[in-house]
Amino acid sequence: MVAIDDYTSNYENQWCPGCGNFGILPAMKMAFVAQNLAPHELLIVSGIGQAGKTPHFLQCNFMHTLHGRALAVASGAKLANHDLNVVVNSGDGDCYGEGGNHFIHAIRRNLDITLLVHNNQIYGLTKGQASPTTDKNMLTSIQSHGVSTRPFRPLAVALSLGAGFVARGFAGQKEQLAGLIQAAMNYKGFSLIDILQPCVTFNHLNTFAWYKQRAVDITTLDHDVHDPQSAMQLAMEWEERIPTGILYQQEEDDFTALNPWLQQGPMLQREYNVNSINAYIDELYQV
Amino acid sequence: MAVDITVKIGGEAGQGLQTVGDLLCHVCRRAGYFFLAINDYESRVRGGHNFFQVRISDKPVLAPAQQVDLLVDLDGVTYKQHATELKEDAIVLCRPEQNPAQHRTLHLDFTALAKEAGNKAAQNTVAAAACLALLGAGEELCQKVVEQLFGTAEEKLGAINQKALQAGFTSATQSDLKGWDLTWVEQQPAGAFLDGASTLALGAVAAGCRVGAFYPMSPATGIMTQLVQLAEHFPLVVEQAEDELAAINMVTGASFAGCRALTATSGGGFSLMAEGIGLAAMTETPLVLINAQRPGPATGLPTRTGQGDLLFTLHAAQDEFPRFVLAPATVADCFDTMQRAFYLADTYQVPVIVLVDQYLVSTSILVQEKLEVSPIAAPSPPPDPPAKPEGYARFAFTESGVSPRLLPCQSQALVKATGNEHTPDGHSSENRENRRAMVEKRLAKLPAMKQEQRPPLFHHEQADWLLVSWGSSYGIVREAVDKLRAQGLDVGLVHLVDIWPLPQEPLQSLLRERKWLLVEQNATGQLGWMLRAELGVEPQGSIFQYDGRPLEVTRIVNETTAKIGG
Repeated sequence: MVAIDDYTSNYENQWCPGCGNFGILPAMKMAFVAQNLAPHELLIVSGIGQAGKTPHFLQCNFMHTLHGRALAVASGAKLANHDLNVVVNSGDGDCYGEGGNHFIHAIRRNLDITLLVHNNQIYGLTKGQASPTTDKNMLTSIQSHGVSTRPFRPLAVALSLGAGFVARGFAGQKEQLAGLIQAAMNYKGFSLIDILQPCVTFNHLNTFAWYKQRAVDITTLDHDVHDPQSAMQLAMEWEERIPTGILYQQEEDDFTALNPWLQQGPMLQREYNVNSINAYIDELYQV
Repeated sequence: MAVDITVKIGGEAGQGLQTVGDLLCHVCRRAGYFFLAINDYESRVRGGHNFFQVRISDKPVLAPAQQVDLLVDLDGVTYKQHATELKEDAIVLCRPEQNPAQHRTLHLDFTALAKEAGNKAAQNTVAAAACLALLGAGEELCQKVVEQLFGTAEEKLGAINQKALQAGFTSATQSDLKGWDLTWVEQQPAGAFLDGASTLALGAVAAGCRVGAFYPMSPATGIMTQLVQLAEHFPLVVEQAEDELAAINMVTGASFAGCRALTATSGGGFSLMAEGIGLAAMTETPLVLINAQRPGPATGLPTRTGQGDLLFTLHAAQDEFPRFVLAPATVADCFDTMQRAFYLADTYQVPVIVLVDQYLVSTSILVQEKLEVSPIAAPSPPPDPPAKPEGYARFAFTESGVSPRLLPCQSQALVKATGNEHTPDGHSSENRENRRAMVEKRLAKLPAMKQEQRPPLFHHEQADWLLVSWGSSYGIVREAVDKLRAQGLDVGLVHLVDIWPLPQEPLQSLLRERKWLLVEQNATGQLGWMLRAELGVEPQGSIFQYDGRPLEVTRIVNETTAKIGG
């Protein structure tokens, strides 16, 4: 049996004390252990930012990539070997800003990847500039008169693109988040969990208390998880309350199920066959 | 008498010039002739002026010709635009309302004849048929090719095109024009009908490429289109990415997971990919990328050709790391180069950029030599995981700089990689000594990489004067050399194919001893820049062409003659 300790990394953790990431990391480990998934059976692909560092702080196969590009790298890995369990760690700037186009099209492509967005509504690693999800009017070193740009609503965007698994977690609710990660990984297709994550250093507006006051468990609401209209309403809620849990889930054929070659198994397992190539070439020289 | 005839067919985009071309080339092939065909087109879907030009010979053809024997004007402007290219005894096929006074003319109402055959779209077949009739081809052979391309006479498309063929043939044979008296006997073809795009794709498949990702961009799109067609026959997943950033990172991800993967792009798409080249380099993930050059910064000339990316390709992505840049010389060479590209990318765990251009990608040619799958083409399995999986370090220091590359989730050993500078076990590190050691580890691959490089292609390299060129211009410069020698000038050719890393010898000695002229398709002599920097050699002059059109043999001959005297 896989144990939590199997995921312990000796690599020095570089997050700030009190960082919301310290709620996300154990939830990930809990979800992996609950699935009896050993570190060597897991591939984490991450982007750049504090969230991108996540795979260094546990045990797994990983590729810590470029700013915004994690989903593209993960998609390629999945095309090559769709048996891989692929989780992507990204942040609000990484995924919704620099990698926004990849976010949109990864949802449309629907490869079986679980995307965890550590959404702290601020740029941490570059020291406190507004991110795509920063609330309006927040003052930052760059947005010195307050953020004037409307915030990006990731869950509403995902729903509008027909995403089949859309959820929101909160770093302050580890058990719930672990359950969401497990459900997302079990979902056959692209799954998104946007995770509310306090940034103790740079975001003094959306604090732990601010989130805690607003977070409400969807299972306590009258909501049909298969109802996209109702999910869209929940996705747009923010100021008064913020629903956490699975907003929407719908089974659908994923990319692999629709590709004639992938239906037969992962590309990685295909034998190299020189005879078939030679036969093809021979024909080119015939009438 | 040697056969050397050039047919040029001009028309609007959408008039089916490619169909006329294919028909001519297929008939030539089945009659044992060689050919080389180029497509000249504008960046538009309909209208404009485009042409297809094929040079037919009884010997292998190296280059397009500048003089035209048979001109077909489908759009009413072809004759005006190309009249100066016509030989004195050339024949012009044009519509009845046109009057190309100075040349022998066959008036044909292509549209009316095509309509009579059943569809005005078949005007291209009418035109091709008239050309073939003037060239002396037998109607029966042409009928077979029409059937091959359009289906049997029982099918609608086949029937229309057979009628169009007959109409074109009759018009030409009933005229009193004397065409060419070539021999057209059906025989075993002298080779395969290939173009650069299809041969690059085939080379990738021969190397066991399993994943392709791309974003459409002229002139690279044809390569991925060919790859998609090959995916009907070979296990291969080709995905159209949302942009070039995604495309290159997808193939890097696929390669990291263990499959050989390909992306191809051009111009601004290659600029976007620069970032991704760096990720592959830093994570030592094998990467194969085709850059099909087109001229100009920004959008430039999307459908035209050039060699303006050499220095950019050598340096694309920030900082320093080893890479291969390979520039195949011919369509057939594309096949070998792609197999080597995958082998080298895997062996040295570095990016390999195959540098081609619009001319090479879209040139159709009869390839006489048999394409041979190389013994190095087959992918090697990953090494055995270590007995103690916890000791595995993806970036372990080795003498060669190459570390054993395991695949993620294929053993107990964890594969950890990052685009940050990292320790041997793949964790980010800002340690000073480690940084120095890692830079040196990656660069330690260079000496062995140099050993892999093919020497330049030589042709009369003992001559007094050498023309020095690279990549797709091989056939063109070689023909120019032959022409110059026929004029009594002692000129030879040194043609670079494996551009980077650049081994010093035999190039340095040769270029120090001889007088040489640089021949490039850019305005500043980028190969010259590289040779000067690497070998300390200086040309006596240069011939640059940067008009977006393929290099011209006559231009090289004239300029060389002017420069070296004759």
